[in-house]
Amino acid sequence: MSTTRTWWKTALGVLFTALMLFPVYWMVNVSLTRTNDLRLDPPQWFPVDPTFDGYANVMAQQLPALGTSLLVGLGCVALTLLIAAPAGYAIAILRLTGRGPLNFLLLVAQMIPAVVMAMGFYAIYVRLGLLNSVGGLIVADSTIAVPFAVLLFSAFMAGIPRELIQAATIDGAGPWRVFRSIVLPVSRNSVLTVSLFAFLWAWSDFIFASTLDRNGDLIPVTLGIYKYIGNNTTEWNSIMATAVVASVPAAILLVVAQRYVAAGVTAGAVKD
Amino acid sequence: MSTTSTPVGSTGTPGGASGTAPVVAPPRRSPRPRARSNRWAAAAFAAPLLIYMLVFYVFPLYRNLELSLHDYTVRAFVQGDAQFVGLEKYREIITSATFAPAVRNTVVFVVVSLIFQYALGLALAVFFRNNFRLSGLLRGMFLIPWLLPLIVSASTWSWMLNSDNGIVNSVLAAFGVGQINWLTSPTMAIWSVTIANIWLGIPFNLVILYSGLQNIPGDVYEAASLDGANGWQQFWRITFPLLRPVSAITLLLGFVYTLKVVDVIWIMTNGGPANASTTLAVWSYREAFGTGQPDFSPAAAVGNVLILVALAIGLLYLQLQRRQEKS
Amino acid sequence: MKRLTLPIRTLPRLSLPVRGLAAVGVLTLGLTACSSGGTEGGAGGDGATDSTFTWWDPYPQHDDSSDWAQRVQACGDEAGVTIERTAYDTTALTNQALLSAQEGTSPDVILIDNPAVSTLADTGMLTTMGELGFETDAFDENLLAAGVVDGETYGIPIGANTLALYYNKAILDAAGVDPASITDWASLDDALAKVAATGNKGITFAGIGTEEGSFQFLPWFWGAGADLTALDSPEAVEALSLWKGWLDAGYAQQSAINNSQNTTWEEFLTGTFAFGENGTWQVNSAAEADFETGYIQIPAVDGGGAPAPTGGEFITAPVQDDEARYETTSQIIECMTTPEGLVETANTFAYYIPPTEPGQEALLEEHPELQTWVDAVRDAKGRTSDDLGTDYPVISEQLWTAVQNALSGAMSPEEALSAAQQAAESATS
Repeated sequence: MSTTRTWWKTALGVLFTALMLFPVYWMVNVSLTRTNDLRLDPPQWFPVDPTFDGYANVMAQQLPALGTSLLVGLGCVALTLLIAAPAGYAIAILRLTGRGPLNFLLLVAQMIPAVVMAMGFYAIYVRLGLLNSVGGLIVADSTIAVPFAVLLFSAFMAGIPRELIQAATIDGAGPWRVFRSIVLPVSRNSVLTVSLFAFLWAWSDFIFASTLDRNGDLIPVTLGIYKYIGNNTTEWNSIMATAVVASVPAAILLVVAQRYVAAGVTAGAVKD
Repeated sequence: MSTTSTPVGSTGTPGGASGTAPVVAPPRRSPRPRARSNRWAAAAFAAPLLIYMLVFYVFPLYRNLELSLHDYTVRAFVQGDAQFVGLEKYREIITSATFAPAVRNTVVFVVVSLIFQYALGLALAVFFRNNFRLSGLLRGMFLIPWLLPLIVSASTWSWMLNSDNGIVNSVLAAFGVGQINWLTSPTMAIWSVTIANIWLGIPFNLVILYSGLQNIPGDVYEAASLDGANGWQQFWRITFPLLRPVSAITLLLGFVYTLKVVDVIWIMTNGGPANASTTLAVWSYREAFGTGQPDFSPAAAVGNVLILVALAIGLLYLQLQRRQEKS
Repeated sequence: MKRLTLPIRTLPRLSLPVRGLAAVGVLTLGLTACSSGGTEGGAGGDGATDSTFTWWDPYPQHDDSSDWAQRVQACGDEAGVTIERTAYDTTALTNQALLSAQEGTSPDVILIDNPAVSTLADTGMLTTMGELGFETDAFDENLLAAGVVDGETYGIPIGANTLALYYNKAILDAAGVDPASITDWASLDDALAKVAATGNKGITFAGIGTEEGSFQFLPWFWGAGADLTALDSPEAVEALSLWKGWLDAGYAQQSAINNSQNTTWEEFLTGTFAFGENGTWQVNSAAEADFETGYIQIPAVDGGGAPAPTGGEFITAPVQDDEARYETTSQIIECMTTPEGLVETANTFAYYIPPTEPGQEALLEEHPELQTWVDAVRDAKGRTSDDLGTDYPVISEQLWTAVQNALSGAMSPEEALSAAQQAAESATS
């Protein structure tokens, strides 16, 4: 591709991104707007008379919560991969008996209302003493991602050229070696995709956190926000500022992770 | 949903479809080698998942069913002595005046959301596949909406769409368009929440579809361009067919997730004005938590109707998958 | 039962007390099986010992270092126990309370928005104040009513609030309106017309499709002489037509249909509205606004003050396995509801009028300017009056739906209200 061609693509890309992120800009705008100007008509495009109270609050109060969210997110990624990747392999490549019904169950599982799930977990955790623990929250959050991850893994793994696997099998590799040395490396894109989703869902979960991790020492940031939603007041500055601050580390993580979604992984593998 | 279990056939077919010589070997027809030992291996690999599902999903699923078949008043919920009423709650919701508008809204919300999320997600994925300068960064930034707590993104949308002091109407007014009551007009409200939901869903579609695109071998395109296919032809003859399995799973999952969306609508309109933007999922939520009187049983019944719908779509999907496999 | 969402719009201190017909036999005693476990281990986590009492309230905005948390702690100290306090947002608190009752892990004390008191009492998870050994005579009857079900009192209000019309003095001056002249709907309409003539916005209110919408509409509904048992009465139609008329005339904005009370207040604070319907809790915020504000009682149709609904939180005590705990719980509640305690609560939250006469007098000594509000609270009407009891939530849902239908133009006020009445009748029969 010539440079001139990529140049206009970059311009177009920037334009698309700007359009997409306009609501995010608006959120930043609100985070800096004084309460008295929040509902001005017509609205202000820029915070003319900005206030930084929201950010001051967040810096003073929300940093531990951000750490907890990060921990929960990463824990959830690990657990999800641990369960879903082998399962995907079993379904798509080892052709697990009864995979049809299992797939249906996974679909149904995703439809269970989160509140019902949360009630179930509450009942279990009360008995196991897992309430208000980060570990418990990680397990609960993973239930959002696991069914999705299994479906995604099996969809992607089904696309792995059989020759790859057959070749390895002929070389005498067992299922475990095939999984570890061929299927997993070739599935790097889906591993990243699943990780991304697991992380994001855990990061944005509110309902499990609110039911299961209410008064532990470590609360995630989605609960932290509720500090600013009083019965009769809504501190929009602080709410929006929390969202802005919270999205920064996660955004960096995303951009970095995205880099590794490399082109043509499968193709490369086939040729090698 | 054996989607998934569909063998490579799916990825293999494209070659045939596009007419270009597949770099990937021809559709594989090989049976299962060493089927027996594989069966045990498969079970071993799936074991963690099976245990996990047994522990965490069976109870809630049973619970939702049980809630819908009993008359759970708040009192019965705490006391655990609800009366068994069979399908009475289902009859109640189906004959309710809210049922018809809720179904209509659900169809609009889900179908329109899905079409636009998928189309925009795919267009963007194809666009970002060109590795232009900054493409990685911009693609990463597209995911930011997803990082925001829903309460924040949905509130921001309702802020922007406010009839009187929202930025959207303010911009439209500059172009001479009169005030649009995005959230307060009975005919507009459902479209407004759909727009916000499309925005929320684009990152999801973009990520999966982009990832799917990356799995299409580059040589297929090389061969096609040697054949003189232009970008448009390449898309329809290679990209689209090769992406079919991933598209299918994206749409299926998108369907399931969209069907159960509550937050966005609840924060933006509470399902209103009146019932104008109430979907089945919102209705279920409102029955349980939206009024002063929690009504768990009808809520669970509506929830189960949604599960049935998702199952029906799953079956349909499976059917299509089979047919395609055969042809 | 879908994803529990963000109660951002949840009703602030709206009460829907329940009494009268309400709860059928409350099997407090039969409950033991369910509430086994008592406070032990509750949501408190580390298996609370006897000297640790658990306390839930809906004030996440007050963290552990806040005055409020310290007051709670001080009352624990006085009773010789440690209090473990957990704050939930309003909606989550009700759900959590039900869940904990089901699992037998209820806390010792729950401070809860008054509509939920009837709901919780109805489940049999609350002790009566009598069982607790707590005297309720000192409390104003109209305020206590929210905690009374079938003649038994299940909770104590820690404060009360109600609605009034805040006004922007500069805008009224510019329009030549004297707030004191607004005594009935005609003079209010007149004032709105004058304000509109000067190019300013008239009034902002919350027509949202939740309990808040009903809460805001009730002063007008009752002020017209309507009754919740007949949503389609001519008086009710008159009240709804008043609101609809404001929208049509441009005195109020379309966005009112979707406004929560908080949003309404944010709109009022821009300084571009002449009037804002809002509650006692905004008194401090109004004083800090960039412009001069004042408030008048919401007028009734033909003059005089309209009855406004009462709001506020209640202290309740869930049933415990170990009845010996009640004595301490009672001491804690006692400590929170002394006249001085109530004044402190009022100061902490800036919007609570004490629910007892000694409390009110003590408050007025400190803040004589709150006289109007104290009077308003004394005159306010519980939403479950007129023997509605647990029917109120059902009727209220139909009422706010009717408001939304009429304001959005989907139906005429008559149609909307008659549909609401039909739906309410079939749901409560």
